[in-house]
Amino acid sequence: MAGGANPAMVQPIANPYQRASGANMQALNTYANPAAAAANMMNPYNQQVVDATLRDVGSAALIGQNQLDAQAEAAGAFGGSRHGIAQAEALKGYQQQALDKVGALRQQGYNQAMGNAFTAAQGLQGAGQQAFNMGNQLQQNQMAQGAMQQQMMQNLINMGKQQYAGFTGQPSQNLNTMLSAISAQPTMAGQERSFQPGLFNYLQLAAGMA
Amino acid sequence: MAKGGRESTDTTMPKFFETALQQSVGMGQDLAAMPYTEYRGADIAAFSPMQEAAFRNQQDAMAAFGMQGGQGSYLPTPVNTGGAIGYSSAPVYDAARANLEASSPATADYISSFGIDPVTGAVGSRAPDRQPVSLEMTSAGRKGGK
Repeated sequence: MAGGANPAMVQPIANPYQRASGANMQALNTYANPAAAAANMMNPYNQQVVDATLRDVGSAALIGQNQLDAQAEAAGAFGGSRHGIAQAEALKGYQQQALDKVGALRQQGYNQAMGNAFTAAQGLQGAGQQAFNMGNQLQQNQMAQGAMQQQMMQNLINMGKQQYAGFTGQPSQNLNTMLSAISAQPTMAGQERSFQPGLFNYLQLAAGMA
Repeated sequence: MAKGGRESTDTTMPKFFETALQQSVGMGQDLAAMPYTEYRGADIAAFSPMQEAAFRNQQDAMAAFGMQGGQGSYLPTPVNTGGAIGYSSAPVYDAARANLEASSPATADYISSFGIDPVTGAVGSRAPDRQPVSLEMTSAGRKGGK
């Protein structure tokens, strides 16, 4: 059956939380007003059963009435006061029987409807809880997969930033490389002593040569 | 020391080594004038479409039970940096610098003056090349050189 054929069917486009909320609300309505829920659950064929029972009791009453009439006629008391009393008592019994049967049927029908209403409410609660749990699970899956995608994007950004930092820091890196090369060398510095003679030195030299 | 003459002692090193030392010092001076090179691209990955959908689903879930969903995002608009979509801290950095320049312009100028102008390349007033130098420890003996 197509989904649109029965308005009472759950529409497939409703999200799980809408279904859960709807089921929960319906269950609450049942608990809040069970009589109304039971009225909706009454067996539509209940009246037919009652009518059939009444017909059965009526037929039995008619048969009993005929037997009573036959017995009164055989006794020559047909139409008499005793016959009338007997008829009244018999009818009273049949009426009581009819009332008892109908009452019992209606009581049974009501109890059945009430039980069905509560059963349906419990079913709605379960279905609602199930829909809620399904929605939660789907949400968690979606969030987890979405977070995985976001993490991949974050990794990409981090790699790009790392490359950029490498570019902007390259001059410093170059200097550090050069300084490392310098510091790796053995001691290169030495000392050179020099002497620049003065006038007195030249005079000493001349005196020595004389 | 002999009278009348002048004796001096100079530190010496191989030519290649002195060359490398002076080049390193020169590089260091140039690098000291390097301005801050801010990163202006995406910093934090934006929420993925699935996450956005999950947010909307959660809002729908709240609405289904008659609760407030907190619809909408309060995050800034993501930027596209070479295909990577994310939130950038550059606008926050720009705002912070603008705030500093507005509230403490002298401080902002002072900080900037150590490096070159990132747009014009003009050397800052406090860059190493602009620092006053008064040599007092140079050897009185021979002159050095490359």
